[in-house]
Amino acid sequence: MTKSDRWTGPLLLLFSLYVCVESTRLGLGGISRPGPGFFPFYAGLVLAFLALAQSLLSLLIDLEKEEAWENWLSILFVVLAMFAFALFLDFLGFVVTAALFLGSLLRGVERRGWLFSLAVALLIALASYLVFGRWLQAQLPSGILGI
Amino acid sequence: MEAVQSIFSGFAVALTLKNLAFCFIGVLLGTVVGVLPGIGPAAAISLLLPSTLRIDPTSSMIMLAGLYYGVMYGGSTTSILVRIPGEAASVITCLDGHEMARQGRAGAALGIAAFGSFIAGTLGVIGLMFLAPTLASFALLFGAPEYFSLMVMSMTLVTYLSHGSVIKSLMAAAVGLILGAVGLDTMTAKPRFTYDILVLRDGLGIVPVVMGLFGISEVLLNVGTSTPQEFLKGKIQGLLPNRQDWKDSAMPIMRGSVLGFFLGIVPGLGTIIPTFLSYGMEKRLSKHPEKFGAGAIEGVAAPESCNNAAATGNFVPMLSLGIPANAIMAILLGALTLYGLRPGPLLISENPAFFWGLIASMYIGNVMLLILNLPLIPVWVQVLKIPYGVLYPLILLFCLVGAYSLNNNVGDVIIMCVFGVVGFVMKKFQFEAAPMVLALVLGPMLEDNLRQALIISGGSFQVFFTRPLSAAFLAVSFLALVLPLFKLRLRWMRSLL
Repeated sequence: MTKSDRWTGPLLLLFSLYVCVESTRLGLGGISRPGPGFFPFYAGLVLAFLALAQSLLSLLIDLEKEEAWENWLSILFVVLAMFAFALFLDFLGFVVTAALFLGSLLRGVERRGWLFSLAVALLIALASYLVFGRWLQAQLPSGILGI
Repeated sequence: MEAVQSIFSGFAVALTLKNLAFCFIGVLLGTVVGVLPGIGPAAAISLLLPSTLRIDPTSSMIMLAGLYYGVMYGGSTTSILVRIPGEAASVITCLDGHEMARQGRAGAALGIAAFGSFIAGTLGVIGLMFLAPTLASFALLFGAPEYFSLMVMSMTLVTYLSHGSVIKSLMAAAVGLILGAVGLDTMTAKPRFTYDILVLRDGLGIVPVVMGLFGISEVLLNVGTSTPQEFLKGKIQGLLPNRQDWKDSAMPIMRGSVLGFFLGIVPGLGTIIPTFLSYGMEKRLSKHPEKFGAGAIEGVAAPESCNNAAATGNFVPMLSLGIPANAIMAILLGALTLYGLRPGPLLISENPAFFWGLIASMYIGNVMLLILNLPLIPVWVQVLKIPYGVLYPLILLFCLVGAYSLNNNVGDVIIMCVFGVVGFVMKKFQFEAAPMVLALVLGPMLEDNLRQALIISGGSFQVFFTRPLSAAFLAVSFLALVLPLFKLRLRWMRSLL
């Protein structure tokens, strides 16, 4: 166990209680005719029990220190870039979004030169359009620019 | 005799030019994925899955299966050459494999890994060929209570055998069960936990979730932590193991194959744990256990055979019962449903051409892998030199495209991204993703069988304990849950002293 378990336990406990409340609202049904909330309710109950055990144990056992969070800024950048990809895909079209996505990662996270980032991003975006869009015939969106 | 006849008809299916080509693409991609440390078989199969929906089911499954056992071949290469396991089932190979490489015996280590994989893979297919149809006809006797108990057993086993905390694994499984309930209720069609979001109505798709949990999260973990890789200098020579090597490895390969196959069948075990057991067994049986860890060829031969046999064994419960042994089989099971096949005990008898064609393709695929692996090892070493900084944006892009093209819907992309972050946070806090995925897939089946069993029995839980098979499965689950408690108690008491 690590130090983080002191608060992951209570957090999961809260989540499980939420699931149980929602399941009751869905309708538990009787044991001879279980309703839609029956299964998630008991799964939530099991989770609640486990989370409680975890929370209590974390108070009793000596906890190890966990590894440090390195490069969290880069990781955040990558995550945001992925969500941006999802948001802009239908609007900008596949080729443009993919090129922007790759370029921003190469330039922003990997600190490659502008020219290298741009060239590689465009090249890969076009190549993957040919492979996925043309060869494998995936329906990729073309966006407002029509490409 | 029936199996012999059927396998010939299977070869007729597998030996068409089209299926040979798909088999080749599968095993080739599998080897590449096995070699590249940043991407595992689960992510690769989910990536390829959307594009297989336009091909016929047999060819698709031939390719995806080839990818899976191909990974087991490729994974050893990086373990031996750079001490980085290309995928998790080759972790233990690092110990002796890399030590052999440092002593200038990289060729022999790579060679024995390839030959061992070939022998084990082929033996595994023979086992699969005879066992799966038998098990399927036996499983026709299963009712809802048996299925329920069997699924409970696979979930508890996967948590019992996980590396980390048992409580955390069980919590991951419970969260998986809850996530599995998202979507329309199968019996009443009432929406559950959907919050009026359209993409959630059909439930959380297994493919975007797995791509997030195993693909994206792996990339996020690797981003920035650029450890300079140490490459083996000089040429790799003598890929063919010598007479002494063969003498030392023959029995470990056989034992590893048998152990791996039978452990691979047990739902929940997967491929990683069998390799550890196989390594431990060889060390105990060896006349010179002190050589293990210092470059013993047995330490490469046994686990590398074991993971291939286990990978093939994993297909037994998936094809004959419709129950996945691990996360990858869960994806393949999802694929079967997407192709319009009905997984379960009737799969083999209803689709003989599919099943026997797949089996025959596995024989062929193993031969292809052996031929492919030995001469191409220098090429794989070059592949390893691609800087990760250029590779991971590509992997991410493939995942994004793959998730989108499942339903041409951005919703799946967002689900994948969310689970990428979830998987990353889970790894940071030492929660395992495998029990969660297994529970997510089994959850809906588990719920259906539980509710059916309760309705049939009129609300009595006795039905799970009075039917002998069901009771046996539950007894194993109970043991798997209780045994770690004793260990925990001991550790706890020790920590208080």
